[in-house]
Amino acid sequence: MFCEKVIELIRELHRMSDGQLPAFNEDGLRQVLQEMEALYEQNQTDVNEAKSEGRADLIPSIKLRHCCLLRNQRCVTAYCYDRLLRIRSLRWEYGSVLPANVRFHMCAEEVQWFSQYKKSLASFMRSLGGGEGLDLTQDMKPPKSLYIEVRCLKDHGEFEIDDGTVILLKKNSQHFLPRWKCEQLIRQGVLEHVVS
Amino acid sequence: MDTQSYLPLQPGVGMEENFLSLDDILLSHERLPIRTECSFPRLGYLEKSTDAQDIPEGTKMELPLWLSKGLYEKKRRVLSVELPKVYREGWRTVFNADPNVVDLHKMGPYYYGLGSQMLHFDSPENPEIAQTLLQTFIGRFRRNMDSSQNAYNEDTSALVERLDCLEKALFTSGQSGLNGFQSWEKGRASQLTASSLVLNYRKRKMADVPP
Amino acid sequence: MSDALSDDGGGDVNQDDTQEDVMTPAELIAKLEEAWLNEKFSPELLENKSEVVECVMEQLSHMDANLQRVKKGDAKASIHRMEIDRIRFVLSSYLRSRLHKIEKFFPHVLEREKSRGEGDPSLLSPEEFAFAKEYYANTETYLKAVALKRMPPNLQTVDMLKAVPEPGLDSFVFLRVKERQENILVEPETDDQREYIVDLEEGSQHLMRYRTIAPLVSSGAVQLI
Repeated sequence: MFCEKVIELIRELHRMSDGQLPAFNEDGLRQVLQEMEALYEQNQTDVNEAKSEGRADLIPSIKLRHCCLLRNQRCVTAYCYDRLLRIRSLRWEYGSVLPANVRFHMCAEEVQWFSQYKKSLASFMRSLGGGEGLDLTQDMKPPKSLYIEVRCLKDHGEFEIDDGTVILLKKNSQHFLPRWKCEQLIRQGVLEHVVS
Repeated sequence: MDTQSYLPLQPGVGMEENFLSLDDILLSHERLPIRTECSFPRLGYLEKSTDAQDIPEGTKMELPLWLSKGLYEKKRRVLSVELPKVYREGWRTVFNADPNVVDLHKMGPYYYGLGSQMLHFDSPENPEIAQTLLQTFIGRFRRNMDSSQNAYNEDTSALVERLDCLEKALFTSGQSGLNGFQSWEKGRASQLTASSLVLNYRKRKMADVPP
Repeated sequence: MSDALSDDGGGDVNQDDTQEDVMTPAELIAKLEEAWLNEKFSPELLENKSEVVECVMEQLSHMDANLQRVKKGDAKASIHRMEIDRIRFVLSSYLRSRLHKIEKFFPHVLEREKSRGEGDPSLLSPEEFAFAKEYYANTETYLKAVALKRMPPNLQTVDMLKAVPEPGLDSFVFLRVKERQENILVEPETDDQREYIVDLEEGSQHLMRYRTIAPLVSSGAVQLI
């Protein structure tokens, strides 16, 4: 049956329901596009014949192929769109710089979309409050205290806090730091919030 | 809390399909028994049981829901759609007797979704199908809700294995409510945590690289 | 929450506004919380409250500036800092849920903006409008470049308005009544029910379809909870 190939693309994403981004399946996409081209050409031939030789009996087959073309178009668009939703969430989870193993799973057009999204988001956040700016990727949970106890899960190097003090984030070291300075590093798995 | 930031496009409600929903695309890939009401020239190779060039009128075969829906017309019949077994009268009697005993995962897993989609095809049995779908859902809902609200910190695979996709989604959302409430009660709701996406990536990376 | 604000001197929050618009810091924060909860729980994007956002931002930097002058180690300072953090959280969460809805419904949001009559209030703040337009263009460019332009000529466009689902106005919401309402028409849920009329008493709480009470949310007569 037609449109089996494109379902594999859809399943690939559906399996990763936590939002991970599998590698862009250019090969699979190319095969779908080839199938579409073949369907389109066969339909062109049949349409011409139906017109010139009055072969109305060809119409059901033309219609069937057209349904398949629309189906492929829908599935490919849904594949790409769902990937955008995943790429969008990467900006919120990782920040604006992505680790290489994530970036390698994006195709050139997706890299472009991501950098434009970053730009739009940044200029939106900058423009808030009459140009004063507010970072919306911070403060994801309601604050309970100003300072929190954190444990360092890996070596991260030097880290400057509000008052200009510089501390060294060394693996397994424990610190008492301003909450809002740590949020991003906790999300990225560098620090762990210790709750007694 | 709004920590998970990948939110897939939701499937349509009732008889609606959402164009970009992966769930709806997989649902519409389910196959239906059909009978052709005209011949389809030059497509014989789609029907494996014959070597003919065309699919002749009167052929019984299976087509995916999306194609059956695309080709179906009330005025000009090119195919007629038969009801899959689970929606026929025999099974409807079973469902109406005790909806809790049936394994909707095995019979579906899109029992409600596909059933609602079947209403697009003009069948005299449609009112009964709709009624059975509704009663089955109502009959199973209480148990599903109870188990999703009470299974805390335990293996839930036995609880969900007989659920339809829709029910499974409801179960999951009940569980996330329960877990959120429990963590709030323990005063952990304000704990900052690593992104689960980041953690899963790390796990996979480690699995990829041999030690 | 807002006592701390007043002694740090809101006062001049609305210095440019007309007499009847003067708001105390406490009222301002109450307005923000109201907008936040409504936005969080309503399925569709509500009208923007950019005056509130701007005033709160101004208030925050004002409090921040005051704090800089307080001596280190003053116990009052950390309470005020906590207050700032809490207000900033509510503000961020409010703007985030709006941004998320703009992304989720972008073709519909822009369409509503386009069909809006002269003088009707805008759904989007100017910044949000700019963001939505860029999001649309960026997404359309991407879909075209990665797939659609490689398809047969009659399949190179997708109608985003049809492809991206609209907000589900029929979903149910919890609400608290702030001003008594009479004669609210409730549509039947099943074929054997009839529509009926309810009165909503002040202070009472209900679970209803959003569609039924959407106008009351925008007029401020009910609060989503």
